[in-house]
This record gives sequence, C-alpha cells and structure tokens, in this order.
Amino acid sequence: MVSDETFFAWLDGELGPGEAARVAAEVEADPELAAKAERHRALRARLTQGFGTIVDAPVPEQILTAAARPAGAEVVDFAAARGSRETRWRSVPQWAAIAATLAIGIFVGTMVPRHDSAPVALEDGKVYAAAALSDALDTELASDPSSGGVRINLTFRDQSGAICRSFTQAAASGLACRDKERWQLRGLFAAPEGQGGAYRMAAGMDPNLAALVTSTMAGEPFDGAREKAARDTGWR
Amino acid sequence: MPSSIVFDDELVALLPRLRRFAYALSRTPADADDLTQATVERALRSRGQWQPGTRLDSWLYRIMRNLWIDTVRARGRKDKVEAPAAEADRLGEDPREAMDASVDLARMMAAMQRLPDEQREVVALILVEGFGYRETAEMLGVPIGTVSSRLVRGRTALLDLVGV
Repeated sequence: MVSDETFFAWLDGELGPGEAARVAAEVEADPELAAKAERHRALRARLTQGFGTIVDAPVPEQILTAAARPAGAEVVDFAAARGSRETRWRSVPQWAAIAATLAIGIFVGTMVPRHDSAPVALEDGKVYAAAALSDALDTELASDPSSGGVRINLTFRDQSGAICRSFTQAAASGLACRDKERWQLRGLFAAPEGQGGAYRMAAGMDPNLAALVTSTMAGEPFDGAREKAARDTGWR
Repeated sequence: MPSSIVFDDELVALLPRLRRFAYALSRTPADADDLTQATVERALRSRGQWQPGTRLDSWLYRIMRNLWIDTVRARGRKDKVEAPAAEADRLGEDPREAMDASVDLARMMAAMQRLPDEQREVVALILVEGFGYRETAEMLGVPIGTVSSRLVRGRTALLDLVGV
C-alpha cells in the first residue's frame, strides 16, 4: 500500500527512478489508485490553465512602472554605468517594460522611468532619446548592422524641416525627430505580444508606426547618400 | 555584466510569474496586483540583500510570501468568513482571452481561498508555480516532510472543492 505522501511525490516526479517504478507498478495494478492519479493530474492541469492566464496576460502598467523605477536613490558608478549602457540596451525586458506602459497609439509620455541609462528621458513634458538610443540615432545609418540592439529604418524631414528617424528594437519601435541638439520621441510602440526578438526585427514596420511616419514625412525618405550627408552635418 | 543590471532585467522578466503566484494566494485580482506591486517595491528597496549568483526568483517569491502573510495576519480572522468578491470582469485584461479560462481562473482562486493559508502556499508553489518539494521547503523554511504533508491535505481538499 502506497502512502499518500509517496503517491503524490510519485505523481509530482519527486521520487528516484527505483521508487518511482515501484509506485508506478502499484498504481497500474490498482484501478482506484489509477483513477486517483488521473483526477489529480486533471486538477493540476486546471490549476496550470486557470492561473496560466495570468502569465499570458499583460502585466498592469502600475506594476511595470514600479519595477522600472528603483524606489531608493542609487549611487551610480559612472564608469560602470557607461560600460553597462550597451548591455542594458540590448536587454529586452527593460524595453518591454517601457513600451508596455505606453498606450497603443502616439506616446504622450508620462510614465517614463528615471533610470540613469533608460533609453528615454523626460524633460519639460517632452520625451527624448537617451543613452544608447540617442547614440544610435546620432551615428547609425540604415545600412549599418544594428548596434546596441537598435536598427535605424527610415530617415526623412517632417513638415517643419526637422530630420526624423524611425528605429526598431527587439521589443519596441518608434520615431524620433531632431529638436535642437537632441532626438525627441514622437512615438514608441510595443511589439505585439509574442513577437519579440528576432521575429520582430525581421518583420515589417509596426502599423501604428507606419501611420505615424506617413503623417509626419514631408517629401521622400533619404537615400543612403543623403542620410550619410545629414549625419555628417549634424542632422540639421 | 553588473549585478544591478541583471537584477532589474530579471525582475521585469519574472513579473508575470510573480503575479501568477499572487493570484494563487490572494482573494481578489485587486489584492493580487497590490501584492505584486508591494513585492516589487520591497524587492527594489532590499536589492542589496540579494546575493548575486543565487536564484532571484526564489528570493522574490519569499518576499511576496512574507508580505502576503503580513497582510493575512493584519486582516485577522474577522473577514475571513467573507466570500471572495467575484471580480471576474477585472480579469479580462485582454478581451480576446478565452472566456472559459477567465471563468476557470475565478473558480480556482475561490477554491484556493478555502484552503488554510499554510496549505494554500504549498499548493501555489508546487502545483501552480512548479517548484520542487525541496525548493519549496527552503523557501518556506520548513522541513520537506511538512511540505509533503501540507501538499497532500491541500490538494485533496482542492479536488473536493473544484470536483474535477
């Protein structure tokens, strides 16, 4: 006779191979035990399925914001912070956290985390590219392989004459336009659920971003030569 | 890579699982989300206490479990008899989610609430979160035999409640 503890340990895969085989044989020979095993497997399946909806659901904005903004002030070692820029940028979760706090549509940025190396910074109610995103917008050409996880897509002028660039990252894509010496974000869009990583990079432009680009662009997107010339003259 | 970076990114990556554990422990979705947020805030304040190289998930689960115990104790016995409010409508974060799954979640939460606290946490950690008996014993600071016997009682009662 198998004790309850041993029976469930077997069901949960907690027994060593010898003992597991012994219990398995006993369960097989006893219809009542076999039925009990089935019922408990079904119970576990229902628990997994029911609570699994939470894992699949988007994490609420409030929680993401809490996670993206350290509660205590941190003392940051500048050398370490500089060194970590790229690694931090490459990591999808932080991007996902920021992008997921944004509504689908044009970003009106009130929830920007105040990380030292966050890819965006909030100033006077405007959202600017920071850290590695700013670097990529400043220096990268569409023909370059993505650096620091950022790929530049289109470069063009908006109706006011400012240069704008669209960009893609594993978990988000967006549009930034030149505002004096900086890149102001006009839109930032989270990658659709389940389309992170390489798929995202390989896929076409996010439809929301495409709509924003279309409504912002005056004239044609820059070709490679024009893009390079614009970079070399400081995006004026 | 600096440990603080690992910490931040892993914390965000672990949020869906932590939130699931909160739902398994809590009476209502609102309580569960409050618990998750409180856990995140506590974890960020106490980040210096996490030993890089050890499992961040276990550390976070322990924080959540301790906060939950505090809440349970603070609430006391008086409202324990109240039936958990049906807040199934709040679960529909994504309206495309299958209705069945949301309904089943509400049912599972209600059933979990009927278990004694010490059985509920063991059922949540092992049957919902998939931790092993030993990991669970270490997280809760109890002998593995205690985990095993609480699990037997908890899952047996749960089976009667949901009637699989």
